[in-house]
Amino acid sequence: MKRFFSLVLMVLLISVSTTVFANGSKEKAESGVIKIALVIPSTIDDMAWSEAMYNGILAVQKKMGKDKLKLDVSERLWNAVDAGSAIRQYASEGYNIVIAHGAQYQSLLNDIAPDFPKTTFAYGTGYAADQPNIFAYDPFAQQGAYLLGMIAGLKTKTNIIGIVGPVESGDAIKYNKGFELGVKAVNPKAKVRIAYTGSFGDLVAAGEIAKSQIAAGADILTGTAQQSVGAIRVAEGAGNVFWLSSDMDQSSLAPKTVLAAQAYNFSKVIEEMIDSRSKGVLGGKHIPLTLKNGMEEIVYNPQLASEITPDMKAKIDAAEKKINDGTLKISVE
Amino acid sequence: MIVQFLVGIIIGGIPLSVSLLLAGLGEMFTQRSGVFNLGVEGIMMLSAFIGFFTVYTIGSPILGIIAAMAVGALMGLLMGLVSITFKAEQGITGIGLFMFGWGLSGTLFRVYVGGVTTIKGIDGINIPVLSKLPVIGPILFNQNPLVYVAYILVPVASWLLFKTSWGLKVRAVGTTPAAADTVGINVVKIRYQSLVIGGIMAGLAGAYLSICQAHLFADNITAGRGFIAVALVYFGRWKPSGIMGGALLFSMAHSFQRLIQVYGINFPYEIAVIIPYVLVIVVLALTWKSQSLGPLALGKPYDREFRG
Repeated sequence: MKRFFSLVLMVLLISVSTTVFANGSKEKAESGVIKIALVIPSTIDDMAWSEAMYNGILAVQKKMGKDKLKLDVSERLWNAVDAGSAIRQYASEGYNIVIAHGAQYQSLLNDIAPDFPKTTFAYGTGYAADQPNIFAYDPFAQQGAYLLGMIAGLKTKTNIIGIVGPVESGDAIKYNKGFELGVKAVNPKAKVRIAYTGSFGDLVAAGEIAKSQIAAGADILTGTAQQSVGAIRVAEGAGNVFWLSSDMDQSSLAPKTVLAAQAYNFSKVIEEMIDSRSKGVLGGKHIPLTLKNGMEEIVYNPQLASEITPDMKAKIDAAEKKINDGTLKISVE
Repeated sequence: MIVQFLVGIIIGGIPLSVSLLLAGLGEMFTQRSGVFNLGVEGIMMLSAFIGFFTVYTIGSPILGIIAAMAVGALMGLLMGLVSITFKAEQGITGIGLFMFGWGLSGTLFRVYVGGVTTIKGIDGINIPVLSKLPVIGPILFNQNPLVYVAYILVPVASWLLFKTSWGLKVRAVGTTPAAADTVGINVVKIRYQSLVIGGIMAGLAGAYLSICQAHLFADNITAGRGFIAVALVYFGRWKPSGIMGGALLFSMAHSFQRLIQVYGINFPYEIAVIIPYVLVIVVLALTWKSQSLGPLALGKPYDREFRG
């Protein structure tokens, strides 16, 4: 009997603990209604990668109306096996667009997509859209990072700039290379120091790296992925250190510290996919997020507007123009 | 330069060791009494949230720490209820407790806070004059108050475990519960007490993470530190000094790899990041002694009626 009780208690515990995971609704898709399912590695409020996508979909939903776009989210599916079953379930429940928000889901989608030819799948960061119903969205992190690097190079007084990186892969490499090139373009003497936490989500480790960077003389910091939030708080605590954000505008976290951000406009990615579907194209396309197509943009923190002088702004705008017309190519090789 | 680098390693390593040390010392009592609590990570996560939330709403870091410890104690009781009273398999119960703490903290955070918010928390204290001393000043006299608490708890835990009659009972219950029972020691009570102490310590470790170290809460803030603490208990051969040594070794190695990266020393970061883990495994392999030092009844629920 006691064993039975313990079993019941365990089941209870686990069911309480999993209430975070959203349930997919079972009703059939009505005509004219688009059902989007989003699978993310962290949470919708991570103040970075996942939240940027979530906000993008919400913005489209607001434009189209809640009755025209239905959204369901499954969070914390870093593990590809769990993500796979969620993606498959969403697809079999008749969702029109299933977004797996991370480079790690690429091979999963290649496996699943052929079984659901009427469903659109999307993942990013990635460029390979190997199936006719897979979109690969691809933030050109190096472009915005280059401009942020210019800001860093112009603002630094110690000539030491620190990057708090997550894992040396995909986006982080593109971002860091672009950033470093931007710094060097305006301030060849400045040193850019890169240190990785080895994790996308360990905020405490990111904070500790930020402390080490500041202790070693850095006065401008930047970093990517959701772990960066921990570093921002350390930069804020240190005073006279600026932070440059990636993925989304993080200035609400530290309004006196976050100078500018490279933000992704995922709403435009979503709109392009919906538009494409309405024309009968379910995928097979590579969607780059660039400064030129407006899917990526530099957002300045209005509270620190005085820190960016007109002269600096002119230099940055000139570089942005060159990136957009193709005369300035940022190589991440 | 070398001195500066070494001091940098120690200054960076000490804050890292605190959550591991606190949780590890707590788990040591739990395991010494014969219960294997894998749920430390979950306890840390939930108490990190409760501590954060108390500071966020009431503004008092002290109350935050107390609340986190109280939650830790309750989680310890829950573990006891399932694994001691209902005699469920301890490993599975611990994983359940971990998932419960992770899920509940994330859900409560979503419902009551909504997004990442920073709090004032507790900063490091700067002891005047002494903190200005060269080399030892910044290492010894410029730390977070909980750092001192954690390291004072090492001899306290040692005394409690080896010099008090309660400690003797804990060790007896964890080694030969049947014999302890025949001499009138209440096995169930001692195990519950140990679990509650373990929970309180894990709660303190969680509070340190959110209130002192990160000054915020985010989903999965502990990022595996609870599991490392459990491993450090084995590493430290169920002794406070051993656990402290393990926590320090692990954190210093971490701090070392971070500084290698920050100073731009040409070294592959992937290897740097795994140094602490490799080091711990190597030391563990080299120092392996007989199992008899550890609690022999570890992991076995005690049943009076059952002669094993």
